[in-house]
Amino acid sequence: WTTAGGVTSRHTMDKSITLPPDEIFRNLENAKRFAIDIGGSLTKLAYYSTVQHKVAKVRSFDHATKEATSDELYEISVQEEVTARLHFIKFENAYIETCLDFVRDHLVNTDTKVIKATGGGAHKFKELIERKLGLRVDKEDEMTCLIKGCNFVLRNIPHEAFVYAKHADSEFRFQTTQPDIFPYLLVNIGSGVSIVKVESEDKFERIGGSSIGGGTFWGLGALLTKTKRFDELLQLASKGQHTSVDMLVKDIYGGSYGSLGLTGDLIASSFGKSATADKEFRCYMAKSLLHMISNDIGQLACLYAKLHNLSRVYFGGFFIRGHPVTMHTITYSINFFTKGEVQALFLRHEGYLGAIGAFLKGAEEDNPNQYSWGENYAGSSGLMSVSPDMNPMQRARSGTFDMLEMDRLERKLVNLPLLQDASSYIPDTVDLAEDALAREYWLYCFEEALDGVVKRALASQPDMPEAAERAEKFRQKYRHKLQTLRHQPL
Amino acid sequence: MAEWSGLHSSTSRHTMDKSITLPPDEIFRNLENAKRFAIDIGGSLTKLAYYSTVQHKVAKVRSFDHATKEATSDELYEISVQEEVTARLHFIKFENAYIETCLDFVRDHLVNTDTKVIKATGGGAHKFKELIERKLGLRVDKEDEMTCLIKGCNFVLRNIPHEAFVYAKHADSEFRFQTTQPDIFPYLLVNIGSGVSIVKVESEDKFERIGGSSIGGGTFWGLGALLTKTKRFDELLQLASKGQHTSVDMLVKDIYGGSYGSLGLTGDLIASSFGKSATADKGFPKEDMAKSLLHMISNDIGQLACLYAKLHNLSRVYFGGFFIRGHPVTMHTITYSINFFTKGEVQALFLRHEGYLGAIGAFLKGAEEDNPNQYSWGENYAGSSGLMSVSPDMNPMQRARSGTFDMLEMDRLERKLVNLPLLQDASSYIPDTVDLAEDALAREYWLYCFEEALDGVVKRALASQPDMPEAAERAEKFRQKYRHKLQTLRHQPFAYGSLTVRSLLDTREHCLNEFNFPDPYSKIKQRENDMALKYYQKVVKSLEELSWEERQFALIRGVLAGNVFDWGAKAVSDVLESEPEFGFEQAKRKLEERPWLVDSYDQWFERLKGPPHKCALFFVDNSGLDIILGVMPFVRELLSRGTEVVLASNSAPALNDVTNGELQILTESIAAMDPVIQAGLREDRLTLVQSGSSSPCLDLSRLDKVLAMVVRERKTDLVIIEGMGRAIHTNYYAMLSCESLKMAVIKNSWLADRLGGKLFSVVFKYEVPAAGHDSEALTPP
Repeated sequence: WTTAGGVTSRHTMDKSITLPPDEIFRNLENAKRFAIDIGGSLTKLAYYSTVQHKVAKVRSFDHATKEATSDELYEISVQEEVTARLHFIKFENAYIETCLDFVRDHLVNTDTKVIKATGGGAHKFKELIERKLGLRVDKEDEMTCLIKGCNFVLRNIPHEAFVYAKHADSEFRFQTTQPDIFPYLLVNIGSGVSIVKVESEDKFERIGGSSIGGGTFWGLGALLTKTKRFDELLQLASKGQHTSVDMLVKDIYGGSYGSLGLTGDLIASSFGKSATADKEFRCYMAKSLLHMISNDIGQLACLYAKLHNLSRVYFGGFFIRGHPVTMHTITYSINFFTKGEVQALFLRHEGYLGAIGAFLKGAEEDNPNQYSWGENYAGSSGLMSVSPDMNPMQRARSGTFDMLEMDRLERKLVNLPLLQDASSYIPDTVDLAEDALAREYWLYCFEEALDGVVKRALASQPDMPEAAERAEKFRQKYRHKLQTLRHQPL
Repeated sequence: MAEWSGLHSSTSRHTMDKSITLPPDEIFRNLENAKRFAIDIGGSLTKLAYYSTVQHKVAKVRSFDHATKEATSDELYEISVQEEVTARLHFIKFENAYIETCLDFVRDHLVNTDTKVIKATGGGAHKFKELIERKLGLRVDKEDEMTCLIKGCNFVLRNIPHEAFVYAKHADSEFRFQTTQPDIFPYLLVNIGSGVSIVKVESEDKFERIGGSSIGGGTFWGLGALLTKTKRFDELLQLASKGQHTSVDMLVKDIYGGSYGSLGLTGDLIASSFGKSATADKGFPKEDMAKSLLHMISNDIGQLACLYAKLHNLSRVYFGGFFIRGHPVTMHTITYSINFFTKGEVQALFLRHEGYLGAIGAFLKGAEEDNPNQYSWGENYAGSSGLMSVSPDMNPMQRARSGTFDMLEMDRLERKLVNLPLLQDASSYIPDTVDLAEDALAREYWLYCFEEALDGVVKRALASQPDMPEAAERAEKFRQKYRHKLQTLRHQPFAYGSLTVRSLLDTREHCLNEFNFPDPYSKIKQRENDMALKYYQKVVKSLEELSWEERQFALIRGVLAGNVFDWGAKAVSDVLESEPEFGFEQAKRKLEERPWLVDSYDQWFERLKGPPHKCALFFVDNSGLDIILGVMPFVRELLSRGTEVVLASNSAPALNDVTNGELQILTESIAAMDPVIQAGLREDRLTLVQSGSSSPCLDLSRLDKVLAMVVRERKTDLVIIEGMGRAIHTNYYAMLSCESLKMAVIKNSWLADRLGGKLFSVVFKYEVPAAGHDSEALTPP
């Protein structure tokens, strides 16, 4: 949401894509209904496509008309079926031209004339998109798209929302899907902050906002530390000691201020010591700034939540997106101000909300909300932990390419009406993310069983010569997923 | 959070010359009898509070005991000047740098005290504890900072009229003062020191810190210092007042090319504070960064305050703390922010004596056994520095002065003051008719008028004490002090709250008292009273010869004619001075003929044909012809109709207004001549009460408690207000819940012009409240 963001990503503009593009832009041949969300540094492309795949069908023998050649009750046949799938791809703005070229070259069967566009960068790249794709760019309101996308993921992706707990055994604790997702508060922290109350599919209101947001962290941080990159500022902030810059309650009163319930370690005044300090510490300032901004947003969010009687508060925007440092400080602040009454919730696919929303705007005649959708685990990148000690390769990867695919389910799925309390129902008995021993065992168990599964799959298609190759691909993909889950159980 | 930052001292020390520019004995007044000390030591300023007794002269009247004494003179009563001791609270503010000098001075001048303890609060209290104990020999007793702050705040809100104000940078009057509310609770106090504390105050003793923020004055100072290399808070504010924030901040239009209409965001709204600085290639001017920072912090605090106010359903939000204190720049940005976030539903309020709250609270903690809250207190205009505008274009000398020494004195009033129970809406009642701060022409005129009249007042004061040789010197001191006040008010009309004719008159009375001229008009009043009494029976007789219809009109004309005699009005004092024989009949001839400038006599007359009123409350004006020949015959008629009468007169002298003491004597001697008055007194149908005021004007929200009680008990259904000061300068628009009669003769040509009349035009305003405002509210609880 910042027009200034582009600069930081441009320095690695080598125009090469590290993954083979056909594994990213899948099923482009039949793609239709494009939507694009261009943010300050990342572009999110969405399209709808049909996927041909094989399904196994069973049919009973008609014993009356056919002779009983066997004593089997029914026959098995493999048929081709076409299903609908939503594709979302995220890449750096730097790759936008390469990506648009690729899309144009592989687009076969489309009568699409329009691409829905949203995001602060939409007007900047409008001409480029129209020229490259030959589609008319149709701009959609940013906030409307964001909310539409948010509603969609909350409704359709189980475990979309999570609570962040830095020091807990599992860093991310996922929430079960609620039967009714409304009302909720969405706090979007881009350059500034927008606080939006969402009451129903089509009813939302920006009830508040603040100019102290990600842009303030970035801008003030750059002035104070001479560090111009947002990521580097966050790195600095994760290391510093804010107490040499901030004035704490104990700096004024020598300890806590008991009668007001203020502990000694509470920050009384952000940067309160720097007017008279002799030395300046860059990283300390970044940390102090991060605390100042996170606490402020946290308090505002709590007040608006209380004022509007909302208990679910989701945080998003580039300040939050995939940054454990900011998720931690925001979570801390919310816990402090609401004494645990309100939880800070984050979204796994927060970066896609605008693109999803823009896509849905374009697909409104298809009534996407009348179907249920399921995340396709095979075609989606998982949530990446981008904690500072993580492999920088992985960090980079998560920042650039990232995919989400969703399959349209043939029939709408609803709750069993007999559940005693649908909102607290959790289907799974054990959460392996929280139970390290169990996780260890089951991951090992599934890996052990993999050979048997491959053998079984192969045996099910004795007449197909290429089955061996596909079986091997399956083995590799599933083993890779298992390995990923071992390192990132979330 | 706390007002204190623990660090400020370095900023004030650079001018630590230990000299005090004002003579200390003019600052630490009445130290000899001081007791109950309290001190509030902030980051850079110390506030000292003490309670002292002040001996001053009061004029008393006493009837001659005609039985025992031979009638050596035909004077009805004697006037004596007596010494009276009254209680006064003193508050002095000075820079921490002077603390030693000041403590030394206090120790050297402290005479009659058995005080053992000094109450202390503020973040600096522990730092100077040892010094105070050593210097003063008093034990330092620390009090909770927030408790003191709230106690002080409650005290000023309750006792100082026009304490709270709204700030409007571009309005004709920068400060718009609020009238005192009958109920000050609940309110929100946002204290912006280093950090921010947001406190909800529900009653005298119940408050809660409901929120706060670490983004406060210390953040402005600290971040500002880092960004601009400017270490002084004042300089940072100066920088901020000059900068352009749009080069640093990212506005909505920088992102969307214009407004974001569907969300109701205008293009000029700040989307992201410092949002442009991440990618700028060059540095920014210091001014721009300081301005951006100021906006960021003020807007943030404004939004938080609004949210807490809404969440707790509070409409009064007061801002204080060193970030705000006397800084128009921050008052402006906070006001702007509050207006923006509440769309005008909540007003940002500031306090004139905000810097003293902690000291006042600490003092009150120490004085709890004296029950200070059971009394009413009044600001002494003579002994208090006014509010200083420290706008950047102000004289730097004045700025420095306001930052260092500054005084507040409050007199304990003998009796508790309350609202008149008959006000239609006490919370919206404004006594003064014209706010001179907002009306430049009127201000110009009245300041000129009071300056012109000053020589006459000095002469009069001198003449009232012919036997005292040092009177000349005191009179001269009075002249200088009052002239200085007038000059201050010319430049800072907001110095003592709203500037009104009433405040100019009251300031003059305070200054006269200050130099022991308690009642300059006592002799004149005495002479006129004696003279008027001689005509009383004649006037009553001639009235009785009239028909009922004629008499009703003659009575009103009598009240109006009496009201022509007023030494407070320049036109009349000129005439009285030059034509001593100017009499009652001549006055009648001077009066405007009907129809009067404001004339509802016909309605009044119709009303008189109806049933008598149950009880009339009459706020009387001048001594002499006015009270004796004008008011008393009218009172007599009311009594005859079966209406009870309560006569309310001033508690202490002001101009030639009749005081309660004088009226007691006059009424008794009239009763001796007039059986109707006598019966009234005997049967308790005529009652004299004191108004609680010593002003030529009238504030119906600060009246003696006994008056309010009597008014309730007697089920008063008519209020009569007489005279220019009480019915025109004040209360002209006052709405009462019962019938009211406002009568005055305009004795000032400028005011006459303004009202569209001429000299000696008559205002006769009879009002009946609209249906729905009947006397239900009156029934005693």
